[in-house]
Amino acid sequence: MSYIPGQPVTAVVVIEIHKLRQGENLILGFSIGGGIDQDPSQNPFSEDKTDKGIYVTRVSEGGPAEIAGLQIGDKIMQVNGWDMTMVTHDQARKRLTKRSEEVVRLLVTRQSLQKAVQQSMLS
Amino acid sequence: MEDCNVHSAASILASVKEQEARFERLTRALEQERRHVALQLERAQQPGMVSGGMGSGQPLPMAWQQLVLQEQSPGSQASLATMPEAPDVLEETVTVEEDPGTPTSHVSIVTSEDGTTRRTETKVTKTVKTVTTRTVRQVPVGPDGLPLLDGGPPLGPFADGALDRHFLLRGGGPVATLSRAYLSSGGGFPEGPEPRDSPSYGSLSRGLGMRPPRAGPLGPGPGDGCFTLPGHREAFPVGPEPGPPGGRSLPERFQAEPYGLEDDTRSLAADDEGGPELEPDYGTATRRRPECGRGLHTRAYEDTADDGGELADERPAFPMVTAPLAQPERGSMGSLDRLVRRSPSVDSARKEPRWRDPELPEVLAMLRHPVDPVKANAAAYLQHLCFENEGVKRRVRQLRGLPLLVALLDHPRAEVRRRACGALRNLSYGRDTDNKAAIRDCGGVPALVRLLRAARDNEVRELVTGTLWNLSSYEPLKMVIIDHGLQTLTHEVIVPHSGWEREPNEDSKPRDAEWTTVFKNTSGCLRNVSSDGAEARRRLRECEGLVDALLHALQSAVGRKDTDNKSVENCVCIMRNLSYHVHKEVPGADRYQEAEPGPLGSAVGSQRRRRDDASCFGGKKAKGKKDGEMDRNFDTLDLPKRTEAAKGFELLYQPEVVRLYLSLLTESRNFNTLEAAAGALQNLSAGNWMWATYIRATVRKERGLPVLVELLQSETDKVVRAVAIALRNLSLDRRNKDLIGSYAMAELVRNVRNAQAPPRPGACLEEDTVVAVLNTIHEIVSDSLDNARSLLQARGVPALVALVASSQSVREAKAASHVLQTVWSYKELRGTLQKDGWTKARFQSAAATAKGPKGALSPGGFDDSTLPLVDKSLDGYSTVDRRERRPRGASSAGEASEKEPLKLDPSRKAPPPGPSRPAVRLVDAVGDAKPQPVDSWV
Repeated sequence: MSYIPGQPVTAVVVIEIHKLRQGENLILGFSIGGGIDQDPSQNPFSEDKTDKGIYVTRVSEGGPAEIAGLQIGDKIMQVNGWDMTMVTHDQARKRLTKRSEEVVRLLVTRQSLQKAVQQSMLS
Repeated sequence: MEDCNVHSAASILASVKEQEARFERLTRALEQERRHVALQLERAQQPGMVSGGMGSGQPLPMAWQQLVLQEQSPGSQASLATMPEAPDVLEETVTVEEDPGTPTSHVSIVTSEDGTTRRTETKVTKTVKTVTTRTVRQVPVGPDGLPLLDGGPPLGPFADGALDRHFLLRGGGPVATLSRAYLSSGGGFPEGPEPRDSPSYGSLSRGLGMRPPRAGPLGPGPGDGCFTLPGHREAFPVGPEPGPPGGRSLPERFQAEPYGLEDDTRSLAADDEGGPELEPDYGTATRRRPECGRGLHTRAYEDTADDGGELADERPAFPMVTAPLAQPERGSMGSLDRLVRRSPSVDSARKEPRWRDPELPEVLAMLRHPVDPVKANAAAYLQHLCFENEGVKRRVRQLRGLPLLVALLDHPRAEVRRRACGALRNLSYGRDTDNKAAIRDCGGVPALVRLLRAARDNEVRELVTGTLWNLSSYEPLKMVIIDHGLQTLTHEVIVPHSGWEREPNEDSKPRDAEWTTVFKNTSGCLRNVSSDGAEARRRLRECEGLVDALLHALQSAVGRKDTDNKSVENCVCIMRNLSYHVHKEVPGADRYQEAEPGPLGSAVGSQRRRRDDASCFGGKKAKGKKDGEMDRNFDTLDLPKRTEAAKGFELLYQPEVVRLYLSLLTESRNFNTLEAAAGALQNLSAGNWMWATYIRATVRKERGLPVLVELLQSETDKVVRAVAIALRNLSLDRRNKDLIGSYAMAELVRNVRNAQAPPRPGACLEEDTVVAVLNTIHEIVSDSLDNARSLLQARGVPALVALVASSQSVREAKAASHVLQTVWSYKELRGTLQKDGWTKARFQSAAATAKGPKGALSPGGFDDSTLPLVDKSLDGYSTVDRRERRPRGASSAGEASEKEPLKLDPSRKAPPPGPSRPAVRLVDAVGDAKPQPVDSWV
């Protein structure tokens, strides 16, 4: 999260989503795409079309994810500390939907941030 | 009729007689049994045993005190129901401060009239989590080691004699109760074979009989009832096991005993400085004192105490038994008795009516009691009473209790000091400032500071610092605390707990800060006092080691990724406050001032700008008169080389702190910390001295801008506000301005839009925040065509126009108009705007509105020196700031009417205010023919 000198710069944010109980289910209110078992070239959000990461594809209006500030196109790096950059789509889904966890903390990066960071590095 | 009456009278009489007869029989039987048992015991007895009336003797003084501990939550009736189990009891309510360390703290941010927030943070002293009702009863231990119920000989006969009749005649209570009482008193007190019994009985019963109240407790409790109750007697009978009365049931009843005793030791141990009185018997005494007069025991006890001042006599029962002795003393005790017993007490309502807690004046009187434990207990009880009870707090003040407590802070006995301080902590908490003032008026602050210096006991230090924290929320006390306490608080608490070392040992690892309660309380106190104006800030800055220690603590927090706690929040807030106006207030600040369009400065600046422009922003036209000042983009590399490390207040504005604040901004999840860190950057980047220029550049170099931009999305209003203002100050740096214009515009506009249509209920931004955001937009579009273009691209114009038209707030409308006016001033953009259907009137009339009042309202009078908080630190832009704040609340009809024409015409084909995200983003791959990519809702 914090800037560590010498490390490649990534602009990440932590987003904490409190799941919403809907009947039996706990919902987060967003959908994900991607994963190492998916075709990365189809990912409309990634800049690097070989990126097999997990991306936020939709955010339901007024849902927990939107309230927490998650945005479409965000790339999920970690869920509650678990790496999400090298997981299958299903693994990612399971990580996110653990019933035992009422709250998920996502480590997320987004392009607007990346650009700003790169820009400031150039300056 | 009469006949009937006679009959019924006769029958009553008969039944009374019958009852009496029954009682007599029973008594006799019991007495016999008791004698029997006593004889047996005697036979099997230890030789050393003096068989006293109670069947116990000096050799076992300890055995006399038996504690029955009952945990009782303050309001629970249930526990009261069980009270009778503990018979002849001296009940004492002790407030146990379970964890003075984690008080619930309330942060209240008061927004003062001028819109600056001042934080009054008060900490609640959560005092009483548990009220332990400790019932102390003295039980003689029989020779066999079983506790015997006391009250012994006199009781039996007494009960069936005078008391009985008395009771019945009054018709007070059900016979059942009485008989039970009788039974158990008889059975419960195995009586020694001594002949003394009967005489003592006689006298005692007479003595008791004279007291009218006695009947009360037995019955369902008329008001005076509580008065009488020589408690043990009645209560006793209602033992948990009515079946086998007497000795047999005792062991069960006393299972709590080890616990009670343990508790006893514990409480004694807490007072390690205890003097000679802290003998075991002292324990009893303490516990008993406040309730003294409740029961015969106490009375007897008091007697001895009064006579000889010797607390050690552990045969209190003896005097009691020999009632004749006790009698005469009643007089002396009487006063105390009455004192303790009279009126119904504060929370007696929820207590058994039989027991009456001492009333407030009585408790306060006990603070002057010659016996120390009484003082301590009275103070502890006071602490309990005052817990979040404004009424009691007020009365304590009115009854002049505060000077008494303050005086006890210097008491030689640690226990007394501790209790008094605990009471003061509760009394000082709350919005009501009168108590705080009263504590000051009787020298409370110096006394507390003295106590802090003297105290080694951590609990006392927590209490003292907690009290000071409470006091520090009251404006007039802030300077008093600084005067008396700053040095002590810094050197006794902040420095040692922060882990900072004056002369760091090169070899050893730097120590981490310890987030102790004491540190938290102290930092909270300093946080409050640091907002007391320029003088307060000067004192804190110049307090040796304070800034160094705070910075060290924060760095250690970041290093350990432990940035969410209250201590960190307090430290950042202090830093933020101390950073306010550094460029004006710090000694030697003049040396670093940058002359506005100073010849040297502007020369350097323009050169630099030219070079920068060539490299990154080639061709950018800088316009406006401010350019010279704004473009001085010093590189961090240009920082002057230091010959020696910065220390003290210099650390506040060294560019190195930027990284610290940015780490906090990325790491912390505590909104107050986020706000304060952003506020610190904002304060540091304001003003036109050299260090502010460095800071602005450093924020960029440390990649702080994206961090800040990200926080514009925070759901917390004040964070958004602090960040927006910080961005505005940062954009005094030309390159920052360009970056912020490109990357923050969408977020800023989104906030403007949210101002009108909150994304979710309750997410409405406050006026100050909206104005701050608008001012920031204004700042970044001024003198920057590119940024104005970004505003258009982000669809800021419709949002602004709508805000002007719809906002209830004059300030918001004005700030928005101001932005629109600036946008229109770019001739290059007019074409685009007109193509979108906007007319000049939209922008100009808005501008006119904005301009009208601003000239009139701008002049000085904006005294901000006492409020080092966010908004005011915009020195570079104080004009704008003033203008924007002035009109607040001064909305005239004229302005309102002028707003009218600005309303957005619904038929206009203005671009709808859409989401700032490009619509393309919303296109999902789901619609694709291929099953992939999978898209799962979670």
